[in-house]
Amino acid sequence: MPLEFFLLLAAALFCIGIYGLVTSRNAVRVLMSVELLLNAVNLNLVSFSNYLDGANIRGQVFTVFVITVAAAEAAVGLAIILAIYRSRDTIDMEQFNLLKW
Amino acid sequence: MSQALESVQQASLSTVYWIPIYTLLSGMASVFWSPAGFRRTGPRPAGYINIVTAGVGFVHSLLALTAIWGEPAQEISVNWLTVSDLQLILPLEYSSQTIGAISTITGLNILAQLYAVGYLEMDWGWARFYASISLFEAGMCALALFNSLFFSYVILEILTLGTYLLVGIWFNQSLVVTGARDAFLTKRVGDLILLMAVVALWPLAGTWHYGDLATWADQASVAPLTLTLLGLALMSGPLGKCAQFPLHLWLDEAMEGPLPASILRNAVVVGTGAWVLIKVQPVLALSPVASAAVVWVGATTAVGATLVAIAQIDLKRALSYSVSAYMGLVFIAVGTGHTDTALLLMFTYAVSMALLVMSTGTIIWSNITQDVTQMGGVWARRPISGLAFLVGAAGLVGLPPLGGFWALLRLLTDLWTDHPLLVGVVLLVNALTTLSLARLFGLVFMGQPHAMMARSPEVLWPMVVPMTVLSGVVLHVPMILNQASALPDWAMLEKPFVLLLLWSCLLGGGIGGVLYIGKLTPRPIRLFWPQLQKAFANDLYTAEIYRGTIILAVNQVSRLVNWFDRIFVDGAVNGVGLATLFGGQTLKYNNTGAGQFYLLSIVIGVTLLILALAYPLLS
Repeated sequence: MPLEFFLLLAAALFCIGIYGLVTSRNAVRVLMSVELLLNAVNLNLVSFSNYLDGANIRGQVFTVFVITVAAAEAAVGLAIILAIYRSRDTIDMEQFNLLKW
Repeated sequence: MSQALESVQQASLSTVYWIPIYTLLSGMASVFWSPAGFRRTGPRPAGYINIVTAGVGFVHSLLALTAIWGEPAQEISVNWLTVSDLQLILPLEYSSQTIGAISTITGLNILAQLYAVGYLEMDWGWARFYASISLFEAGMCALALFNSLFFSYVILEILTLGTYLLVGIWFNQSLVVTGARDAFLTKRVGDLILLMAVVALWPLAGTWHYGDLATWADQASVAPLTLTLLGLALMSGPLGKCAQFPLHLWLDEAMEGPLPASILRNAVVVGTGAWVLIKVQPVLALSPVASAAVVWVGATTAVGATLVAIAQIDLKRALSYSVSAYMGLVFIAVGTGHTDTALLLMFTYAVSMALLVMSTGTIIWSNITQDVTQMGGVWARRPISGLAFLVGAAGLVGLPPLGGFWALLRLLTDLWTDHPLLVGVVLLVNALTTLSLARLFGLVFMGQPHAMMARSPEVLWPMVVPMTVLSGVVLHVPMILNQASALPDWAMLEKPFVLLLLWSCLLGGGIGGVLYIGKLTPRPIRLFWPQLQKAFANDLYTAEIYRGTIILAVNQVSRLVNWFDRIFVDGAVNGVGLATLFGGQTLKYNNTGAGQFYLLSIVIGVTLLILALAYPLLS
C-alpha cells in the first residue's frame, strides 16, 4: 500500500468535509464537517510520519496536538451555536445572513 | 517772428505722434464724469475737455501740416517688441498725406463733438460717449500715422471694439443691442480674414512696412493663386469696415447709435478700411483677380446701395446706404489702381457726408421722428438746415464747382481708357445719389408739413455752429484742393466728362425734384413693380439672407457640437462613474451574509491559486 493511497483517501475525506461544510444547513453538521476536515489532516500527518519519518514520528506528535485542539474548537463551536440558538431559536445556517451588503 | 513760427512748426511736426496720445488721455479722463464716478455735478465737463483736446490736436496737426507741406515724407520707427527672430517695428510716417488726414479727422471730430454738446443736451451719458468718440479719434489718427500693415490691423480691431461700444451707448434699447452685436461681428469677420492675409504676407514679403511691401511687390515672383488668395483676404478686412456688399448690414443697424457718432462714422470711420486698402494697393495690384474683385465689390455696392438708399423711409438709413455707395466708388478707384483719386474722393466725401448727417440730425432732434414720410415743409422755417443739406448734397455729388465734382471727374478720367464700363457705373451712381438726396430734400423740406413737423424750431447754437462751419468748409473744398494742387489744369479739363457728370446730376436731381417736390405724383409713390420696391426697402432682404445662410449654419453646427459634447464627451466621463457606481451596487451582493458562502469562496480561491501555481508542474 503506497503512501499515495493514504493521501488520496485523506484528500477525498477533506473534499467530503468541504462539501458538508459548505452545503449543510444545520450548524452542528457544519461543525461535524470541520471535524471531518481535521481528521483528513490527521490522516495525512500520520501517513507522512509513517512512510517518511519512521524514526522520529513527528507527524504523530502533531496529530496528538491537532486532536486536542480540535476537541477544544468543537467545544467553543458548540458554545457559539448554543449562544446563537438562545437568541434566534434556530440553528439553520440560512437564517444567519444578517451581515449582508 | 517768422523764425519763431518756423521753430514752432518744426516742433509740432516732430511731436505729431502726441495727437493720438492726448486725445486718448482726454478720453480716459472723461470717465471720471461718468454717473458712478462723479455723482454731484453731472457729466458736462467730460465733453468740454474732449473738445478742447480735439481742438489742440487740430491746431497741432495744422501747424505740422504747414511744416511738412511740400517736403518729402519723414519716418521714425519705434521698436515695439523683439521675440527671437521676429522684430515688430512700429514705423510712423510724417507726410503731407498722413498729417492732412489727421487734420481732417481732428477737424471733423471737433465739429462732431461740439454738435454732440447740443444733441446730447438731454442725455446723462456724456462720459461714455466722449470717451468712446475720443478713442475713435485717437485710433484714426494713429491709423493715419502707422505705416505698417500689422499695426494698422491692431488699430482696426480696436476701432471695431470702439464701434461696438459707441453703437451700444443706449443699451436699454433692444435694437441698439442687436445693432451693436451685428456691427461688431460683421466687422470682426472681415478683420479676421485680414489677419490671415497679414500673417500670410510675412513669409512672402518678410515685412509689414507699407513702403517695403510696395518695393517687394515690384519684383515679387509668387504663385498667382497665392497672390489671388492673399489679395482677396486683404480686401475682406476693408470690405467689412467700409460696409461693402455683402458685409453691409451693420452700417444700417449702426444707425441706432447716437447721431453725433454717426457723423463721425459715416464720414471717417468707414474710411479707415479704405485707407488700409489704399495702402496695400501695390500688393492687390499683383493679382488681377483680386483687383477685379475689389472693382466688382465696389461697383455692386455702389449701384445696389444707392438703389436701396432711394427706397428707405428712415432719414438716417437713407444716408447710411449712400455711405456704402461712396465707399464702393473708393473701392473702384483702388481696384483700378488710382489711389490718389481714392484719397481725394475720401476727403471730399467725408466733409460732405458729415454735413449731410449733421443737417438731418438737426431735423431729427427737433421733430423726434426719423420717418421721412412724416416730414415735410420746413424749408421756410429751417433755412439753415435746408441750406446745409443742399450744400452737403452738392458737395457729395458731381455738381461743379464743389469737391465731389472734382473727385468724380478725376475718377472718370482715370477709368475712361481702361474701364469704360465703370464710367457708366460711376455716372449711374452719381445720378442715383442725386436722385436719392433730392428725394430726401423734397420729402423733408418741401411740400406740406406733416403733423409731426407742424412746429419745428431751429436748433440750439452748438448744433448750428458746427453745421454752418462745415458748410463753409465744403464750399471751400475746391480752394483747398487748389492749394494741394489736386485740381486739373483748366486747359486739360476733359469737357465730355464735365458735361456727362453735370447731366447725370441734373437728370437724377431733376427726376427726384419732379417726383418728390412737384405735385404730379400721388404720395406715397408706388413703383410699377411693388415687389422690387419692397426688396429695396428691405435692403434686398440681407438680414434674412444672413439668417438663412451663415447664421443658420453656425447655429446648427454649434447646436450639434454642444449636443455631441453633452452626450458623447460628457457621457464618456459620466459613463465611467456610472459603471463604477453600477459595479459597486451589483457586486455588493457577493456579500451574501452566509458564512458558508464565504467559506466556499475561500475554497474556490485557494483551489484556483493552487492550480495556478501548480500549472507549470502539471504540464
